Amino acid sequence: MLSKVKSFGLMGIDGFLTQIETDIVGGVPHFDIVGLGDTAVKEAKERVKSAIRNSGFDYPVKHYTINLAPADIKKEGPFYDLGIAVGILSATKQIKAKKYEDFVFIGELSLDGSVKKVRGVLPILISARKMGYTKFILPKENSEEAKFIDGMEIYTFSHLVDIVKFLNDENESPVEKLQTKSFDEVSKTHKNRLDFENVKGQAQAKRALEIAAAGGHNVLMIGPPGSGKSMLAKCFAGILPDLTFEEALEVTKIHSIAGELDLKTGIITERPFRSPHHTASIVSMTGGGTNSKPGEISLAHNGVLFLDEFPEYSRSLIETLRQPLEDGYITIARANQTVTYPASFTLVASMNPCPCGNYGSKDRECRCSPAQIHKYLSKISGPIMDRIDIQVEVDSVSYRDLNKDEKEESSAEIKKRVDRAREVQLERFKNSKNFSNAKMSVPQTKKFCSLSKECQSLMEQAFNSLKLSARAHDRILRVARTIADLDGEENILPQHLAEAISYRGLDRKYWSV
Amino acid sequence: MLSARDRLLVFMSNFELSIKKQEMILESLDDFSVDSVLSNPVALQILTREELHKMAESYDRHALDSAIENMQKNGIKLVTIFNDDYPEKLKDLPDRPLLLYAKGDLSLANKKSIGMVGTRMPSNYGRIVAEKFAGKLAESGLVIVSGLCYGIDEISHRKTLESGGKTIAVVGSGFASIYPATNAVLAEEIAQKGLLLSEYPPSFKAKRYTFPRRNRIIAGLSDGVLIVEAGFKSGTVHTKEYALEYGKDIFAVPGNITSSKSELTNALIKSGQAECTLSPNEIIDFYGMKKTSKQKVAVLSFDEQNIVSLLQDGEKDFDFLARKSKIPVNILNSCLTTLEIRGLIRKLPAQTYALV
Repeated sequence: MLSKVKSFGLMGIDGFLTQIETDIVGGVPHFDIVGLGDTAVKEAKERVKSAIRNSGFDYPVKHYTINLAPADIKKEGPFYDLGIAVGILSATKQIKAKKYEDFVFIGELSLDGSVKKVRGVLPILISARKMGYTKFILPKENSEEAKFIDGMEIYTFSHLVDIVKFLNDENESPVEKLQTKSFDEVSKTHKNRLDFENVKGQAQAKRALEIAAAGGHNVLMIGPPGSGKSMLAKCFAGILPDLTFEEALEVTKIHSIAGELDLKTGIITERPFRSPHHTASIVSMTGGGTNSKPGEISLAHNGVLFLDEFPEYSRSLIETLRQPLEDGYITIARANQTVTYPASFTLVASMNPCPCGNYGSKDRECRCSPAQIHKYLSKISGPIMDRIDIQVEVDSVSYRDLNKDEKEESSAEIKKRVDRAREVQLERFKNSKNFSNAKMSVPQTKKFCSLSKECQSLMEQAFNSLKLSARAHDRILRVARTIADLDGEENILPQHLAEAISYRGLDRKYWSV
Repeated sequence: MLSARDRLLVFMSNFELSIKKQEMILESLDDFSVDSVLSNPVALQILTREELHKMAESYDRHALDSAIENMQKNGIKLVTIFNDDYPEKLKDLPDRPLLLYAKGDLSLANKKSIGMVGTRMPSNYGRIVAEKFAGKLAESGLVIVSGLCYGIDEISHRKTLESGGKTIAVVGSGFASIYPATNAVLAEEIAQKGLLLSEYPPSFKAKRYTFPRRNRIIAGLSDGVLIVEAGFKSGTVHTKEYALEYGKDIFAVPGNITSSKSELTNALIKSGQAECTLSPNEIIDFYGMKKTSKQKVAVLSFDEQNIVSLLQDGEKDFDFLARKSKIPVNILNSCLTTLEIRGLIRKLPAQTYALV
């Protein structure tokens, strides 16, 4: 007997339709799954067999052939267990009604017949809706993330027996379909993030981060150990504008594929903050591997990628950041497939000014030789430095600052200003691809960052007297644009430009002396 | 065209021979061809076997000629003690170099000059002092002599060039392998606008002993030596020794008694070996140079005045300025940058600012 059941698999961050064809004939007892499945797919055989038997159904001794079509796409993971089981049960006439033909089945089976969660449900649903498949049967554990996709008819179950009952219409009471949930409802409940309120002093660094958040600029913080760089970076995520629903879906999609989704909320409502350790491998950063998964830079999509002790990361790893920093995505080519993951993040990097960390410190003496300092700083290549608009120095906070009673500004207040500046930018870039000052193209920079005579002469003086490098020019303009936006000014004024120039610490002379 | 004697000196400069040996060889010869050195029985007594062997092995008449031609093409002047343009101040020193490689304006070596020396890793205080002195002294017309190393050397050279003054850099390596390599660009600039000197052939790599050696030339070329900031372990100790030996004036800027980087300067002042120097004008007066007129009074905004007055009693960090001046951070940032661009204040590492 033959049966056909619909299911979905994952490729990159998109789902694709998989037909599970089950053919059961008499003859030598045998079980085979064809269609380029990986080990998890092959092992479905054992899980499905036990699940069917332990749920009280028949598993006749016959010759089973399962085909996962299309046969030329690699299939990974345990998405198909449930589909295969339903296929077998309908081929053996234990599911009599034809209702199952309307549904798409996704789920992993346990040996006792219960249905377990799988990763990547949200991206599959998004792709399926686009392709016109709206009726789904999913594991109960995945309910929360499925709730955010409207226009679907989704039923979730926790046991195979319930599914069969449902398909055969044998339920005593009608099964409720999954209720959708609106994004606004959940996005209001914020977790307790670190707040700038709790960071004493560091006025300049806070201001720099505010500008970075407003214009989407990448930031490098330079300062001795214990000066609070990590703390500042953690607070930074809290002043970024709220995720829109589309952005949230994208973020959730990636986290869902990586299996890092919190199953209680189902959707990610806050900008991700990722801080991989400097021993991280290139694959763990970029994504890929045999079962391709998104890496840290994709998990930081629409959020913050924090790289503490920047020069400690291997040089080749830092260089791999170049493409994503420029394009906002990463393409990973492997022998049998090429995947593209989104990776549009704000880079917040921090580093010590020298290997011992005390260079320039007021109260501690630096023991590094000039050559050592030079070597340390040169670990970050020019092209990477080129992509970091704001460089700000952070110094350890004095005891007096730590103990002062004055209230520091809270993240919420800073965020208000950031939001306003973002609105200005949305208006400015409404007809173009980018939506932040940091990503302005050269012609756009020319158009939106024109300087008055006064500003031009200031810029010229700055280049001459501060010995700025030529590559700093456009960076300064973009940052000045953001500062003007924060001020609500149409044109860049001299004070905006002067402030922007102050964030080019590393371009300055004497740094390495 | 170089004389045979000059050629011989150029040849010998490749072998790290002592000045004394070189002089003895020159005295023992009638004609100065390299061949006669290698065959002269007196030379055989002066040189060690290895030295002679090395010389004989590497000698190639044509290679030497083309090397000399090459250097001259690259603007390197070969000045021997027998030439007219050999620096007057070096001529009578006991261990003066017999040959100098020079790039730039040789006449600078005969002008009134001051050597500025000190630690390779100055504190913020040292930086400020070096900049202040180098700028003022250069403006007064004194030639600033230093060693093109990190720290005080580099700051002195840069500041001098910035203020339009003249500077001489004496390096402990050949011109083609400047140490530190990061200062190669600065060396080129000095060759263009000042004078670059070395007693080593272009491809010679700096060695440990060559730094103290070149210090004697710095001391020799300078009328006075100013020690900006240096500890007991600093190479500046050698410069001071040479300066004492040659009878030069020694100036030292006092420092914090708790700072290891001011040990030498403070000790010299205490022992009376160095003149305690508190302002560049003292040196300018000493040499009778002309003082530059006071800077034009800058027009400052209210906030800028506020900042300048807070910096009056020393360097301050950003948070301090923000707290004391009550100026909003964004305005403070732009004020500080504007003041810096106008040359009124100076930014130091770690968010620290100081008056120039």
